[in-house]
Amino acid sequence: MRWLMAAFEWQSRAVVERHLRVHLRNWHTAFLPPALEPVTSLLAFGLGLGSYVGALAWRGREVPYLSFIAPGMLAYTTFMTAMFQSLYAAFIRMHFQKTWEGQLTTQVELRHVVWGEVLWAALLTTIYASIVAMVLAACRLLGFLDVSLAWLPALLPVIFVAACAFSALGLLFTALIPTIDHMNLPIFLFVLPLALFSNTYFPLEHPVARGISAVNPVYHLAEGLRGVLVGGGAAPHVLVAAALSVAMLAVLVPLDLRLLSRRVLGE
Amino acid sequence: MAEAETTPLLEARGLVKHLGGRRVVDGVDLVCREGGVLGLLGPNGAGKTTTLRMLYGFLRPDGGTIRFDGLDAGADLARVKRDLGVCTQDDTFDADFSVAQNLTIAARYFRPGVPALRRRVDELLDRFGLRAYAAMRPETLSGGFKRRLMIARALVHRPRLLFLDEPTTGLDPQARMAVWDLVDGLRVDGLGIVLTTHYMDEAERLSDALTVLAQGRVVAHGTPKTVLGDALGEHVVVVSAAAAEVVGVATWLRDRALDAPVGVLGEWHLPLRAEALADFARAFPSLRYEVRAPTLDDLFLKLALV
Repeated sequence: MRWLMAAFEWQSRAVVERHLRVHLRNWHTAFLPPALEPVTSLLAFGLGLGSYVGALAWRGREVPYLSFIAPGMLAYTTFMTAMFQSLYAAFIRMHFQKTWEGQLTTQVELRHVVWGEVLWAALLTTIYASIVAMVLAACRLLGFLDVSLAWLPALLPVIFVAACAFSALGLLFTALIPTIDHMNLPIFLFVLPLALFSNTYFPLEHPVARGISAVNPVYHLAEGLRGVLVGGGAAPHVLVAAALSVAMLAVLVPLDLRLLSRRVLGE
Repeated sequence: MAEAETTPLLEARGLVKHLGGRRVVDGVDLVCREGGVLGLLGPNGAGKTTTLRMLYGFLRPDGGTIRFDGLDAGADLARVKRDLGVCTQDDTFDADFSVAQNLTIAARYFRPGVPALRRRVDELLDRFGLRAYAAMRPETLSGGFKRRLMIARALVHRPRLLFLDEPTTGLDPQARMAVWDLVDGLRVDGLGIVLTTHYMDEAERLSDALTVLAQGRVVAHGTPKTVLGDALGEHVVVVSAAAAEVVGVATWLRDRALDAPVGVLGEWHLPLRAEALADFARAFPSLRYEVRAPTLDDLFLKLALV
């Protein structure tokens, strides 16, 4: 269980603090995407595509398309932010900047570097999700959006844990791909399919698609968030999303450590 | 107390490491004392960097023990690493931070933390001539100043033992000498230093003791002079490879089971002991040759041919 204890050790926090310092220095550009992306998505999908779609049937009732995609955007942001942090940003730190190697010459060990990456990606994702939530709240105040955000803060810990799991998945690919040019493989074979088969921007109706989504944590996160924002039974999906995330962490972090140990340390 | 009786700062016994199914370090012993510089020398693939990486905790040994100030490094690596400073072969500074910030950030990876950190950073910026570059990004520095930053960063937490993995590779002579001066100053401060290098003059000038590795094993250990004497002999005879007698010289060496000559730029370099030199002079009275003292280059070339 040493791999798990490392998540709570000061060295992992020191790694997170390092990433946070870099990010805060560039806060004006760093926080622009999570603020602008939901606005763009709401305009493009909601006002654009939404004007054709109108309303959707969801759990036996009519839901405006904008209200349908608002929680989907939160789930999508959670998934994509965590994945891209642990794919591109972590790969660059590991491979090009040699930041990890520098950290490993100190009291920081590989398990702290890995947890530092996972926890940082989750922290950043939770901040981004909160920014998206603020944009949604602003849209609600302006009368564009009909969702309830009162219980959303209660789901932030679930978003954090799910982001940890997505980041651990991203690190698996970071450990496996030989060069940054191969990053397209996990993106197109895993990341985009997981994001699309998740009820985020459109409902899944085909039985095969529904079957796949049953084991997709992004789907359960999207449905759980939708239950909270639109109303109608969030708990089962939130619980499944949390359970799947914990299971992913239990499997992926030790696997990441093993593969990265081979890659970074040569062992 | 005599030096030999004091507890060594670093003591490794029987270090073994397998990488990629190959035994790259095979039973290495070495010792470094406070204020001493141990030079680790050997050709490419000798196991120098792997040995160093085990010593500073980057790799775990498959066999053997590492003790730091009497404490088993395997039992409490984090505690031991608090007293180690590491300057890796590649530049591994943090490209997202300035020169001064690199020192600050590195200090945060150590507990107990560095007291009066700001003053310590200022002290290092001055000592390593980095003051004028404090706000610059490390990648904008010249090679020599990048190395200075790497060494300064390795010292920010006031370690007792410093590892320098080929600290002057790729530097011009002036920058190399500047790094030598810094290393010499650190030794005077009482820091233990373990150094790997390809440069023989560097090893000779900086090291109090040398451990020579070849194919993962220690093949010689001692002061630079005793290492040369033990491994090579007292003399090196330099003969033109174009001389008519070289065939006879080759036969003479083979008959006495001596090492084959090392060919360098049209010359043969023959390491010989005193008695063998006398025999050589008798065997080839009309051959023109030069006799010189052996250098670490000779040792390096000999090991590379093993």
